[in-house]
Amino acid sequence: MNMGPKQCAAAIVGGLKKAGIDFVATLPDEKMVEVIRAVARDRELKHVPLCREEEGIGICAGAYLAGKKTALIMQNAGFLNCCNALTTTSLQLQIPALLLIYYAGDIGDRGFTTLGSVTEPVLQALGIRSYVLRKSDEIDGTLHGAQILAEDSKKPVAVLLTKSVLGVK
Amino acid sequence: MQRYDYLKAIAPEASDALAVCTGWGAREWWAVRPGDGNLKTRTLGLVSSIAAGLALALPQRKVIAIDGDGAFLMNLCGLPTIALQNPGNLIHLLFDNEVYEASGGTATASRLADAVALARAAGYKHAIWVKTPEDFRAEFVRARQRNELTLIAAKVEPGQPKNLPPLTLDELENKYRFMRYLEETGKKGILSPGFDSKL
Repeated sequence: MNMGPKQCAAAIVGGLKKAGIDFVATLPDEKMVEVIRAVARDRELKHVPLCREEEGIGICAGAYLAGKKTALIMQNAGFLNCCNALTTTSLQLQIPALLLIYYAGDIGDRGFTTLGSVTEPVLQALGIRSYVLRKSDEIDGTLHGAQILAEDSKKPVAVLLTKSVLGVK
Repeated sequence: MQRYDYLKAIAPEASDALAVCTGWGAREWWAVRPGDGNLKTRTLGLVSSIAAGLALALPQRKVIAIDGDGAFLMNLCGLPTIALQNPGNLIHLLFDNEVYEASGGTATASRLADAVALARAAGYKHAIWVKTPEDFRAEFVRARQRNELTLIAAKVEPGQPKNLPPLTLDELENKYRFMRYLEETGKKGILSPGFDSKL
């Protein structure tokens, strides 16, 4: 099934909502602009655009403590930006969050191979479980499953978004 | 004057506001306003962002961030984010002693940096320097009543009073007690224990 970026974005945001997510902080990668636009348009989601990903970990942590189910949408460079916050806030205080990370430097993606090569090893080093999402028919199941893991383990769980699942080239 | 003198001045006015603290300010705040509505954060810089997340999620509750200059400067980029969301229930307190007090007391870069001007430039509608604990208390009361995002800042001497009781809470215990306190006072469940779910 070939879907365009807008359809893919709608499917991803729909998947987030089915997983119970109601609070989303974002910092864009070009490949995810339709996802972020869809988040910003959705009246059932609280959207917080960020200046730096690390503060998003703080904002989502505060919202979680008050009962929100949070997701952070960012590129993998942004994930590297927030490693300390993930360690000393999310992991140390056992605070879940769904991390939707654009996988720059994934197989076939030009220009970001250094970033791509460190992404999964750093996630592993932090003990953050991660799943690579490539097919649109796996969106709902992966997001819902990742959110269950995040809530039950009280840790962040990462879903790496690839070009194919975003419908972009 | 030290941060403690200012905290002591506002504690009677804090009522049931939630307080997010960092560094030495945490021990001092607990001493003047003990309770489960206090949360100590760990990541340098994130005290204001965590408080903002709480404030956004609980618009009917007052939230106080007790920030220091080291944390404030590390998270300058958090200011426009908070200002854009504009949580009227967030009162952002800054105690600027010009040193990384919790990290050994070496100088921060705050000596020439005007935190109030930075906050205003980032979009905070209200931001003000005060020079005495009495004025701090008055501005705090004003911010509570106004219900608009406010930064109140004071230059303070480094240091703490002697014999402050240390926090005896484990940090996870702090988190859970804080969440249970939100559940009890908000009459709404937050935690969903996975081991008893039938999803």
